[in-house]
Amino acid sequence: MTTTRRAAPGRALRRTPLYAAAVLTVTLCLFPVYWMVATAFKPSRDIQSYEPGLIPAEWTLDHFRTAVQADGFALFWRNSVLVTLGAVLLALVVALGAAYAVARLRWRGRRPFVLAVFIAQMAPWESLVIPVYIISRDTNMLDRLPTLTLVYFMITLPFTVVVLRGFIAGIPPELEEAAQVDGCTRVGAFRRIAFPLLAPGLMATSLFGFITAWNEFTYANFLIIKQQDSRTLPVWLSSFQTTFGTDWGATMAASTLFALPALIVFLALQRHVTSGLTAGGVKG
Amino acid sequence: MKHRPPALLGALLLSTGLVACSSSGDGSNAGGPTVLDVWLMRDSVSEAFQREFEAGFEKAHPEIDVRIQIQEWEGIGEKVTAALAGNDAPDVIEVGNTQVAQYARSGGLTDFTDKVDDLGGQFWLDGLAEPGAWEGRQYGIPYYAANRVVIYRTDLFREAGIDAAAIKTRDQWLAATEKLDKDGVQGIYLPGQNWFALAGFVWDEGGDLAVHEDGRWKGGLDSPEAVRAMEFYQRLQALGKGPKDSDESRPLQADVVAQGRIAQVIATPGGANVIAQKNPDLKGKLGFFPIPGKTADRPGAVFTGGSDLVVPAVARHQEEAYTFIEELTGDAWQTKLALAMSYVPNKTTLANAVASDPGAAAMAVGAAHGRATPHTPQWAAVEAKNPIKDYMTAVLTGRDPKAEAAKASRSLTTTLNSGS
Amino acid sequence: MTSPVLRRAGRTRRPLAPGPYLLIAPAVLGMLYLLLYPFGRALLISFQDFGLRELIRGDAEFVGLRNYRTLLSDPVFWDVVRRTFLFMAVNVAAIMVLSTLVALMTERLGRIGRAVVLSSLVLVWAVPVVAATTVFQWLFHSEFGIVNETLTDLGLRSFEGYAWFADGRAAFTILVVLVVWQSVPFAALTLYSALTTVPGELYESARLDGAGGLRIFRSVTFPLVRPIFMLVLSLEVIWTFKAFVQIWVMTRGGPGDATTILPVYAVQTALAHQRYDLGSAASMITLLLMSGVLALSFRRLFRQEGEHP
Repeated sequence: MTTTRRAAPGRALRRTPLYAAAVLTVTLCLFPVYWMVATAFKPSRDIQSYEPGLIPAEWTLDHFRTAVQADGFALFWRNSVLVTLGAVLLALVVALGAAYAVARLRWRGRRPFVLAVFIAQMAPWESLVIPVYIISRDTNMLDRLPTLTLVYFMITLPFTVVVLRGFIAGIPPELEEAAQVDGCTRVGAFRRIAFPLLAPGLMATSLFGFITAWNEFTYANFLIIKQQDSRTLPVWLSSFQTTFGTDWGATMAASTLFALPALIVFLALQRHVTSGLTAGGVKG
Repeated sequence: MKHRPPALLGALLLSTGLVACSSSGDGSNAGGPTVLDVWLMRDSVSEAFQREFEAGFEKAHPEIDVRIQIQEWEGIGEKVTAALAGNDAPDVIEVGNTQVAQYARSGGLTDFTDKVDDLGGQFWLDGLAEPGAWEGRQYGIPYYAANRVVIYRTDLFREAGIDAAAIKTRDQWLAATEKLDKDGVQGIYLPGQNWFALAGFVWDEGGDLAVHEDGRWKGGLDSPEAVRAMEFYQRLQALGKGPKDSDESRPLQADVVAQGRIAQVIATPGGANVIAQKNPDLKGKLGFFPIPGKTADRPGAVFTGGSDLVVPAVARHQEEAYTFIEELTGDAWQTKLALAMSYVPNKTTLANAVASDPGAAAMAVGAAHGRATPHTPQWAAVEAKNPIKDYMTAVLTGRDPKAEAAKASRSLTTTLNSGS
Repeated sequence: MTSPVLRRAGRTRRPLAPGPYLLIAPAVLGMLYLLLYPFGRALLISFQDFGLRELIRGDAEFVGLRNYRTLLSDPVFWDVVRRTFLFMAVNVAAIMVLSTLVALMTERLGRIGRAVVLSSLVLVWAVPVVAATTVFQWLFHSEFGIVNETLTDLGLRSFEGYAWFADGRAAFTILVVLVVWQSVPFAALTLYSALTTVPGELYESARLDGAGGLRIFRSVTFPLVRPIFMLVLSLEVIWTFKAFVQIWVMTRGGPGDATTILPVYAVQTALAHQRYDLGSAASMITLLLMSGVLALSFRRLFRQEGEHP
C-alpha cells in the first residue's frame, strides 16, 4: 500500500475523518440488512408499532417457523438450487470455451463476437418474456425447470464471458507454452496450468450468476404454470402476500433464509471475488 | 425437432431429477379417475372447507379426481394469461370479478351461454354475472361475493357509550367515530388508499368512478358528487392513524387492528376471523354493522367483490370441469361456503341461508346495494396501476382536491379508452 | 497492460484453425437460439397488433409502424424517456462518485478496517433485490417506518406520518437511494481491486514532487484505473437503464408516473395492459437509446479489440 505511513505525531487525529467515513459507510451498508434480520425476529405486534424500536424488545422464531412450515418450502428450495446451479454451471462451461477463444486465439470474426457479447448484456429480458413463452409453448417446454435453466443461463452468459475473458488474458501464456514444451497438449496445458489460476474468476462470475438466477421472478412465474411443484423460491416468497395483506415478519424471515446461502458463499469467498472482478475489468 | 439441441444441452447438465419431476404431474392416466386441475385463489376457501368439498365431490363423482391448487395473488394476471394461451391449461380457474372481463373478451374461455339456465343464472348476483359476460355470451360463472362492512370493537364502543345499532347515517357515523377517537384509541383505522370504500361513498353521492357515454369512457372522479365523497373520506380517515400512502394490505390491516386499540375498521366480515386469530383476546369483542348511507333510509352502497369461475378453452376435461362448476356454484355447496367463509352466496335466492351469521347479515344489508366497477375489460388495466389510489393519497396529504381529481379522471379516461 | 504479451502470443497461433470456432460454438448457438430468436420474435410483435387475444389465438396482424407511431406521438412516453435519462444520470453519477470514494477510503484503511468495510459491501451485494426493496419500503413507511420515527424524534415534527411515496420527487429519491445502495458494492469492490494494482512507488514520487491529494488522484491514480472505471461506468449505465425490479416492487411506477422509467413503462404496457405490441416497441426504443448512450463505449471496445490478436 502507500508507503507514506509513518508514525507521526497527530497521525491518529489526522486519520479520524477517515475512520468516521469508514464507520458511516459500514453503518449505511448494514442498517437495512440489520433491519431485515431484526424484523424477522420481532413479534408481529412490534413490527406494526407506531414507535418502532431499534433493537427488538422481544425475540421470536415464529416468523421463521411460519416461513419454513409454509407449503413446499423444501421442494421450492430444491428447485431453486437445481435451476440456479444448472444455469451457473452451464454458463461457466460455455463461457470458458468462448473466453479462451477470445483471449488466446486469433480468428476471423473475433471482434464482432466480442461486440455481440457486450451488446447481449443489454438484452431487454423483461420484454422477451412473451416471445420466450411463445417459443417454449410451441416446443412443449412450458412447465419445465430446464426451460428456466436455459433462460437464466442466457441471462448470465454475457457477463460471464466478459469477466472470464479478462481473466484468461491476465494469465501469461508463457506458462502454458512451457507446459506444452514439456509434452502436454494445449488442452492439457490449459487445464493444468491456467485453470487453477482461473479459480477466482470462476467464482466471481458464478456468484454473479447465482444471485441473478436465484432472484428471478417474472420468468419463474410465467413459464411454470400448471406444475405447482416446479415453482421456485422467488415465487414462493410472494405467497406471504395474502388477500388480507402482506405478512411482513414472515416475508422478512423468508428473505433472510433466502439471502443466507448467497451471504455465506460470498463471505467465504470474498477475497477471490474481488480479485476475480478486477482481472475481469482489466481488459474490459 | 430443430429446436432440440439447446434443450438437450440443458438437460444434459441437469440432474435427471429435474426432468423426472417436471413430467410427473400429468393427469390423464388411463383407467383411473380423470384428474381435474382447479385453481383457487389464496384464502378463497379455508382448508377445512376445501377438504370437505373435495371429499363430498369425489364421493358423488367417483370418476373425477379433483386436484385443487391454491394460487397466490402476486403475479396472478400473468399466470392466468399464460395458462389461457398455453397448451395444457388447468380445467377450472377462479378469477376476481374485476379481472374476468378481459379474459372473457380474449376468446380463451369456454362459452357457457347455453348452461346459464341450468345453473340458475336468473338469480345470479349482477356484480358477478355481468363482468363474466362479453357481447351477450356468458364465460364466467358467479362463484361467491363479499362486500365490506364496518367491523367494530364492542368493548371500546361500550366504554365510549356508543350504540352501534343506532348508527344509520354517515353524519352519525362521523360523530360516533370522533367520540371514540381519544385517549389512545383510534376511532377508525382507514388506510389512505382503500378505494373500494371511496367507491361506495361516490355511489352514495350519486356519482360513479367512470361513465360510458357515446361509446367512450370518461373518468368521473372530478364530478361534484365524487369530490364530496372524497371530502367525507378525508374527514373519516383523519379520525385514526391509518397510513395515508398505503392500502389495507401494507401493512396487514388485520395485524394492526389485532394489536392496537382501534375501534373500527372497514373490511369484509371474514377479516374478523383473522383479527381474532391474531389476537385471541378479541374473540367475541368484534361486532359488525353495514356501512352507513347518506340518509337513514338507505344503507351505504358498497363495492361487490368476489370471484367467477372460468374454464379455459384449451382445458382438456371440459365436461368434468362443468360438473365441478355445477357442484361448487350449486345451492348446497354455496350455502356451506357462505357460512364457512362469511361470503354472500352467488344467488339472491340464497341470501337467507346466512341470516344467522352476524357478519354475513350486516354484509347482506349492503349487498342489496352492491355495485360493480365499470364494466369494461380495460378496468383490469386501471387496477394494475391504480390512479384512484394516487389521487386519494394526494388529497389526504394536502394537495388541491379539485386539481388532483381532474388529473385522476384524465388518467382513468385515457386508460379505459386505450383498449383496442 | 497485458497486450504486449498477448500480441507476442498471438503470433504463434494459426489464424484459421477450426479450434476457436468450436470453442465459441455453444455460446454462439445459445445466443442465437435463446437470445436472438426471441428478440426477433419481439421485434416482429412490435410491428403487429398483438394483445391477449392474439397471444391465445396466434393470428396477429401486421400493422407496420403503427405501434411506434402511437408511442412516439404520446407525450407521456416522452416524459418517460426524459425521466429514464434523469434516473440513469443521477444514479450513475452517484454510484461512480460514491464507489470511488469508498474504494479510495478502503485502500487507506488498516487491515481490520478494510476487512470490515469489504465484508459489509459484500453483504449488501448478496441481499436479494426483492428483499432489499421490501426493507426500504418498510423503513420509509409513513406510520410504521423507522425513518419517520427517527426524524420526528430529532424534532422534525413535520415528518410525523409523512407519506414518502405520495410525493413523486420523494419516491423518486428513495428509489435512487435504493439503487445506489445496491449498486455501490459491485462498483466499489471492483474499483478497490483496481486501486490495489497501482504501484505504491508512483504515489511516493508524486508526493516528493509536491503534488496534493487531488492532483495525485487526477494524474496518477485515475489514469491507471481508467479502463476499469470505464467498464464499471458502462455496466452501471446498462444496469440502471434496465432497473426494473426495485421500481416495480416499490411503487409500480407511481405515484402517477413519477417513477415510471422505460422498462417499467414497457412491462406496464405489455403485462398489465396486455398490449404486448406496444410493450415490445417500447423495449426496442429503449434498446436504441441505450445503444446511443453507449456508442462511444462500443467504439472504444471495438478499437481496443483490434490492438491485440
